[in-house]
Amino acid sequence: MAGTGSGRHPDHWLALQSPGSGSPWGCRIESVGVKLPGQRLTTRELMSQTSHRTRIQLERLTGIHERHVVGPGESSFTLATGAARDCLAHSQHQAPDIEMLISTSITRSRGRCSQSFEPPLSLYVKQAIGAAQAVNFDLSNACAGMLTGVFLLQDLITRGEISCGMVVSGEYISHLSWNAARQIRSVFSKQLASLTLGDAGAAVIVERAPKGGGIEVIGFTTLAEHSRLCLAFPSTVGPGGQMYTKSRTLQKVAIEDMAPLVAEVIGEAGIDLDDIDYLIPHQTSARAIRTGTEAFARRLGARPKHVVVNLEEYGNTSSTTLFVALHKYLQEGRIRKGDRVMLLALASGIEIGMAIFTIDSQVDHYGRTH
Amino acid sequence: MGARIEAAAALTSHGWRKATARRLADAAAQACLAHAGKGPGDVDMLINAGVYREDNMGEPALAALIQEDIGANLGQPPVGGQGTFSFDLINGTCGVISAIQLESGLLRSGVIRLGAIVTSDVDPQLQDPGTAPFRPAGGAMLLGWDDTGAGFTDFAAETYPEYQDLFASGLVWQERQGLRAPRRAAGRSQMVIDARPGYHARLVDCAEESAHRFLRRLGMGIGEIDLLVPAPSSPDFLDALRLRLGVPGDRVAYVAEDLAGAYTSGPIAGLQAAIRSGRLGEARNTLMLAAGAGITVALALYRRAPGPAASC
Repeated sequence: MAGTGSGRHPDHWLALQSPGSGSPWGCRIESVGVKLPGQRLTTRELMSQTSHRTRIQLERLTGIHERHVVGPGESSFTLATGAARDCLAHSQHQAPDIEMLISTSITRSRGRCSQSFEPPLSLYVKQAIGAAQAVNFDLSNACAGMLTGVFLLQDLITRGEISCGMVVSGEYISHLSWNAARQIRSVFSKQLASLTLGDAGAAVIVERAPKGGGIEVIGFTTLAEHSRLCLAFPSTVGPGGQMYTKSRTLQKVAIEDMAPLVAEVIGEAGIDLDDIDYLIPHQTSARAIRTGTEAFARRLGARPKHVVVNLEEYGNTSSTTLFVALHKYLQEGRIRKGDRVMLLALASGIEIGMAIFTIDSQVDHYGRTH
Repeated sequence: MGARIEAAAALTSHGWRKATARRLADAAAQACLAHAGKGPGDVDMLINAGVYREDNMGEPALAALIQEDIGANLGQPPVGGQGTFSFDLINGTCGVISAIQLESGLLRSGVIRLGAIVTSDVDPQLQDPGTAPFRPAGGAMLLGWDDTGAGFTDFAAETYPEYQDLFASGLVWQERQGLRAPRRAAGRSQMVIDARPGYHARLVDCAEESAHRFLRRLGMGIGEIDLLVPAPSSPDFLDALRLRLGVPGDRVAYVAEDLAGAYTSGPIAGLQAAIRSGRLGEARNTLMLAAGAGITVALALYRRAPGPAASC
């Protein structure tokens, strides 16, 4: 027998949360923080470092002009901690208010370890920012990690178990690009997607909101039949990892399967796709995002008012892309109070997650006034 | 009301030609589903809490591969169907209790109706083979919702970062020695586990302190705990903790000999032992306790439904 909350709708493929009658509280995104490494690497510079003459026109294919990459002394840990501090700087909360902290990066470099396992990275982050009493753990869900963290915190918050939590991710992932550059030979290489990656840290604080307020709907599913379309392992070419992606198949499957899931989410929110002011999809390539959006529009008979693409200056920053983009648009004042935003995570697995919410007072803490 | 254990299964790789983390988790999940009389399609959420793998795959989540292997809701999302949401959670030996807490909440909310937790660890190819401080093992458990008052009702997790350096693990790049040649590996990422003297003694200290604080918060005394399910199961931790807490040996769920030394699967191995012996169904209050790197201590209270003892 199911629990006492809003209840799982039998018609839903997604695990869905929305402000149901049983939830005493809502849950809202209160602040977003980002930490970008100071060093930048242009696509031209990266492609000039390949061991083989590839003839790949990466910038034209992906829309990526440059990406931030870590410098000496930087790691997943420093990026995550920097982002968490930036998030607190934009927040009404202090670090001791955070009751749960979830670290969600794919990469977990710290000190001499290119990938740390124990203790969890979240322990070090909470110590560094002064959230010592927060319950912590790490979560790994490829590029959907941060939104997965928000999904879990939403349940704890709407049930009243906690009132404030943080999801953080520090992705030092550009080593995959360097390792791919040593081996890649043509545009058909399964390591092509590795060349799109950039480094970034991002953090988000979610907090209790009045009943019915905050995140309108958030949902997730794993299309595990396609779990092996993108795999990453430690490399033997150089420090860090290597990733092998069947990009075309992944994109085809995502377009095929995502449309009915988007329909589920917007149906649960009681809106149409054209009620979305800003769709922020996972940032892979400008062409893939354009193709996907057109496919949704054809199938669902509507399109969001704006589709956010920030690949030109950041590349694909893996699990942080959604919140790096949201932070940028808040900071630049492009997303305004009252705008409805949809975050759309797409990750190896295949993991598909979506969240819809309306921008409220969080916008006051960004831009020139900050 | 609480999250009820539908089934628990733990196993080792005994008799297998090659143990992999995925195969161990697959086998445990399938055994668990069979015990519960459930099909893979019934699983709404699958959390993998294992840590050490033979290949140290970074993505996707191992949980997604396990979901595919067991056949949980594959295929295109049809209208009116129901999917499975899978991801990995990493919190060492405390990962299972963290996952139980998350799934209990989602069961309470009705977001999921059946949650699975799987674990597995194998030798992560340490420099000195066979020196991993655990035995390859896999575990799986299923959670459903119970309106009668039984199940997991309370949780706590505490960290003692002053001891964070006593146990640490991670991959460290090691350059290949000798002449470099094209097409030959330049090196490899080597798993390094650094366990320092005094670690297990501090685990006992922290576990005792957290257990007393947890029970105080619940207004309970240790005498009201009918069954203790502790992890890790190594004697230097378990016997010392039992004595410090003042729990008689007949109130401890000792794991089967072949599962002694299971790592993230330890808590599930303990539950399996408690279920098989019938003691989980008899105990009014069962305390699950796990202690590991961080130092992190995770606790969960499992209550029996009011009335006569039940089978689980």
